[in-house]
Amino acid sequence: MSPEPQDTQPVDTRRVDAREKVTGAALYATDLHPDQLAHATLATATIGRGRIAELDVSAAAAVPGVLLVLSHLDHLDLQSPGFVMGGGYGVQSLQPLLDDRIAYRGQAIALVVAETLTAATEAANLVRARYETEPFAATLDSPGVERLSQPATIPLPFLADLDVGDAESAYATAALHVDATYDQPAQHQNPMELIGATVSWRGDTLVVHEGTQNAGAIRHGLAQQLGIDAANVEVISPYTGGGFGQKNSLQIHIGPLALAARRLGRPVKLVVSRAQLFHHTSFRPASRHRIRLGADEHGRMVAAIHEVEHQTSRHDLFPLMYTEITSRLYGIRDFRGRQTFARMDTQSPGFMRAPFEHPAAFAFESAVDELAYAAHRDPLEFRLANDTTVDPVSGEPFSSRHLAQCLRRGAKRFGWSARQQRPASMRAEDGSLVGWGVAVGAYPASIVPSAAHLVAGADGRIRVEVDGHEMGQGIRSTIAILVAENLGIGVHDVDIVVGDTRVATQHLTAGSWGTASTLGAVHAALRALREQLGMDTRGPVDVASAVRATGRDQVEARAETLGPGQTEQDAEHARKGLPTLSGPEFPGYSTFSWIAHFVEVRVEPTTCRIRVPRVVSVADCGRVASPVTAASQVRGGIVWGIGASLREAGAVDPRYGGFLNNSLEEYPVPVNADIGTLDVDFIGEPDLRFHPVGVKGLGEVSMVGVAAAVANAVFHATGVRHRRLPIRIEDVLAGTTA
Amino acid sequence: MRPFAYTKVETLAEAVDALAAAGPQARLLAGGTTLYDLMKLEIETPSAVVDVHRVADLAGFDTSGDRELVFGAGARMADVAEDGRLRRDYPALSESLWRAASQQLRNMATLGGNLLQRTRCPYFRGGEPFACNKRSPGSGCAAQEGLDRSNALFGGSEACIAVYPGDWATALVAFDAEVDVHGPGGARSLPLARLHREPGDTPQHEHNLAPGEIITRVRVPVTPAGRGSAYLKIRDRESYAFALVSAAVALTLDGDGRVDECRIAVGGVATRPWRVPAAEQALRGNAITEASARAAGEAAFTGARPGRANAFKIELGTRTVADAVRLAGSRAVG
Repeated sequence: MSPEPQDTQPVDTRRVDAREKVTGAALYATDLHPDQLAHATLATATIGRGRIAELDVSAAAAVPGVLLVLSHLDHLDLQSPGFVMGGGYGVQSLQPLLDDRIAYRGQAIALVVAETLTAATEAANLVRARYETEPFAATLDSPGVERLSQPATIPLPFLADLDVGDAESAYATAALHVDATYDQPAQHQNPMELIGATVSWRGDTLVVHEGTQNAGAIRHGLAQQLGIDAANVEVISPYTGGGFGQKNSLQIHIGPLALAARRLGRPVKLVVSRAQLFHHTSFRPASRHRIRLGADEHGRMVAAIHEVEHQTSRHDLFPLMYTEITSRLYGIRDFRGRQTFARMDTQSPGFMRAPFEHPAAFAFESAVDELAYAAHRDPLEFRLANDTTVDPVSGEPFSSRHLAQCLRRGAKRFGWSARQQRPASMRAEDGSLVGWGVAVGAYPASIVPSAAHLVAGADGRIRVEVDGHEMGQGIRSTIAILVAENLGIGVHDVDIVVGDTRVATQHLTAGSWGTASTLGAVHAALRALREQLGMDTRGPVDVASAVRATGRDQVEARAETLGPGQTEQDAEHARKGLPTLSGPEFPGYSTFSWIAHFVEVRVEPTTCRIRVPRVVSVADCGRVASPVTAASQVRGGIVWGIGASLREAGAVDPRYGGFLNNSLEEYPVPVNADIGTLDVDFIGEPDLRFHPVGVKGLGEVSMVGVAAAVANAVFHATGVRHRRLPIRIEDVLAGTTA
Repeated sequence: MRPFAYTKVETLAEAVDALAAAGPQARLLAGGTTLYDLMKLEIETPSAVVDVHRVADLAGFDTSGDRELVFGAGARMADVAEDGRLRRDYPALSESLWRAASQQLRNMATLGGNLLQRTRCPYFRGGEPFACNKRSPGSGCAAQEGLDRSNALFGGSEACIAVYPGDWATALVAFDAEVDVHGPGGARSLPLARLHREPGDTPQHEHNLAPGEIITRVRVPVTPAGRGSAYLKIRDRESYAFALVSAAVALTLDGDGRVDECRIAVGGVATRPWRVPAAEQALRGNAITEASARAAGEAAFTGARPGRANAFKIELGTRTVADAVRLAGSRAVG
C-alpha cells in the first residue's frame, strides 16, 4: 500500500529509531556474534615511560583456549596510520605493538586472542613484562614538560596567533582590569558504548564493524596500515553508542585485530574495558588559561588577551583552537590570542565535546563575570552592552547572530529580573545560599563535503544512503523529517543507511557539522529526485505513482555537496577519508552557533554541597531540524557542562603517570539525581546565508558556557570565585566559616 | 578472571561443609556485587566459590521483635531498606541502606556481604603497578604519598590507610549490633564493633572471622533512640557514590529536651566502622543547639590524622555530624 501524500499533516518528529534502541533491536558493532568468533583482550604497560626489556607471553599462550598472542616480538606488518590532526587517520600516530618503546602508562603491549572472553582476559593478565624505566611528565606542572609555541611549531593559518588591533596597549590604558588564570583538568568522554570492534576477512576484503564517527578514516587508515587498497576495506557502523569525539578516528586496536583475524581465518572481537579506556584512546587535555580583560569607564570591553596552554603527547601535536570563539563572543576591538603546546608522556589527547570551546568559555566567561562585578554592572546587562553584529576578527558580518535574543529570552524564562546583584545575598527557605549565573557560548559553523543517494521505490518508500554517522544525536530523525516534509510522506516511509562505507563516502561526523552537511546533501538529492520524477520543485509527491509513471521499479538520484567556497579538490581530499572543513569564515561572512545559559545553584550552608535545581538555555542554531532530538542534544550538553564544572577530572598521580580514577565510580559523571529542571528553547531563525535549509550546528554549542554559568552562580551564591574545575565540596568549604 | 570451582549449597550446614572442604582460598558468593568485580580485576582470585544465595537459613529479616531486630545475612539490601517499620523506627538504618550503591545493586547485594565489602582505595583496586600491602602484603602503600582524598583519617597505620567503605556497618556500629556467625566450631556471636580489624601491620586481614565461618545474622537491640536517628552521607554526587564522609546519629531526649541516650558513628573516614564515644559524651546531657551539635562534631574528629588531600574532611565531617545530630534531634521523641 502506498503512503498517501500528507501535505497538511504535521510530520511526526519523534526519534525514528527510538524503538530499536530501547528494545535492543539496534545492533551495535560489538553486539555481533558471527560464527567462529574469537575474543581479544589487551595487556597494557604499567610504567610511565621507557622500554620493554623483556616480554614473556608464555604463560598467556599456555592458557587453555588461547589462540594467539601478538606483540612487538612478532614484528607485525603494520604501519602507523598517522595522527588525524596531522594529515593521517589515527587517534594518535603511535601504533602500539610495533616496537619496545613505552610512551605512556596504559599503552597496549600485547593483544591476546582466545576462544572465550574469559580465557582472553585471564591470559592478558599473565603477560609479563620487565621494563627499563625513564623519567616522565604527566601533568602541566610536572618537570620535563616541553612547551612549544603553536604558530612556531605548526605554521598553518588556522593555528596562527590572533592579533586584532593592539590588545596590550588597549589593556594597559583600560580603566578596569581583570587578570586571572583558569584551570581545566583532563576529562574523559566515557561514552556508554565502550570502544570496540568486530573484524573479519571476506576473501581479500576486510570487514570492520566498529561504533565510530568516522568510518572513512577507519577504511583509509587501515588501508595505509595494512598496505592494501581502500576498496578492499568495508566499515559498517549503523549505530554508535555515544562518540563525543572519542570515536572520531582509527583506534589503535583495529589494525592488530585485522592481523589476528587474517592469521586465524576467523572473526575477532575486542571490547576495550572501561578501565583501559582511560588510556586506550583520546581525552580532553588539561588546559590553563590566563585571561586579561580591560574595560573603559563606561563598562565597554576594549581589550582581551587570552593565553592558553594545553597538554599534548610527545608523539603528536593536538592543536589548540581556544581563541577562535573567545575572540568572537563580544565586540572587543583589540584581541590577542597566544596558544602553547605542553608536551608530556600521555597518549595523544583529542576532541571531547566542545573540545576547545568549553574550557575557553569557562575561562573567558568567568573573567567577563569578574569584570562585570568590577564595573558594578549586572552580568546580563553587561554582556548585552558588549554585543556585536560584526565578526571582530574578520571584520565581516555574522551570517546570523541572535545571541542577544538568546540572553533576553533566557533571562525572561529564568526570571533574572528578581536577581540581587550582591553575592551571598539570596537564600532559599531551607537556608541554602542561592546563586544565579549567566554565561554565553559559541561554536564555529562548518560544512564538509557530503553525499547522498536516494532511491524512490514503486512501493512509495524512500531509501536514503548518506554520508553521515548516527552516534545518538539523531541523524536518522533529522534526515527522515527533511525527506518527509519535502515530499509530504511519513517519516517511517523513509529508510536510512548511515555510517556505511559500502554506500557512501563517510566523512568524519563531528564538530557539529553533521546535520548541516548531511542535510545539505539530502536536500540536493531531493531536488535531483524531483527532477527525475518530473515533479515540481516543491509540494507533496505521490512517490509510488510517480515512480510507476516512469515505468521503472525505482528511481535513483545522487548528490554530492561541498561547503561554501569548497572545490572539487576538497571533495577529493574528503574521499580519502581526511577531514575537510570549511568555515567558520566564509566569503563575505562568518558563521557561529550561539547559546545563553542561566543557572541556579544552591549551596548547602553547612556541608557545602552544590545543587543545580534548574538551568535555562536558549540556543541559536539556525533552523531547528528536529525539535525532539535538538532539545535532547541541548539537555545532554547541559548535563555535560554540569559534570565538567562540578564532578569530572582525570586524577593523575605524578609518580605513576596515566589516570588513577579509571572507572565510572571514581570518575563521577553526573547521575539523574544530580540534574534538576532543564528548560531548553531555540530562537529557530533559519540561517539561509550559511545553509540551503538554514541549519547551523547544535550538539557542541549546547555545552559551551555551562561551566562558566555554574561557576558564576557559585560566586553569586558564596562570594568566592572558583577558577579551577571541577568545583568540589572542599573548594567551597574552604571559603566558608563554621 | 581465573578458573575456579563453583559449588551451590541449599543449607547452612552444607555451606559450612563446602567452605571447609574448599580450603582457605574459597570465597562465599551471595549477591556477587563486590566479589565478581574483584575477581574480574584479579584482586580476588579464589580457588573456589561457594554460592549461598539460595540458603534459606540466611534469608529474611524481622523488625517486629520486642528485644531485638534480626536481619538474615542473606536479606537483600533493597528489601530491608524498604521495610516500613525500619523506616519509621530506625531511619538511620534504613537510610544507610538507601544511600548505598544503586537500586540495581541493592536488589542483588546482601546484608552479610555488604558488611565485608572491601575498600575502594584506588591503589588497592588498581592492581599493578601500585604498591598495596592489603592486596600484596609487603609491597608498600602507594596511598601514603599519593592521591589520598579517599583515604582514612582514623585507624590507619604505616602499612595501610584504606577506608572501610560501608554505610550499613557504620550505622550498625552506632546501634551496638551483634553479629552471629556459624563455622566448623559451631555458632558464636561477636559485637559488630569487633568484626572488622584495623590494618596495623597486616592490612590483608580485614575481619575477625575464623576460617570457614559464615555470617548468618545481624541483631540490633531495640532502642527508643532508633526513632531519633539519622544517617547523613556526603558524597561527590547525589547517588551511586561512596561517602566522602557520613554520620550515623541516634538519640533520645529527656523531659527537658536534653540528650539522654546518644550514639554516634562516622563513615568514609576510618579503616573500620568508627564509633565516636567522645562525640556522644560531648552531647549527652545537653540540649541540641548549634553549639552543642558543633561540639559533638568537633569531638568526633578530634585526633584525626589527615594526609595530603583529605584534611578538608575534618571540617566537613564536623559539620556532617552536627547536621546529623540536629536531624536526629528533630526526629527524636522527647
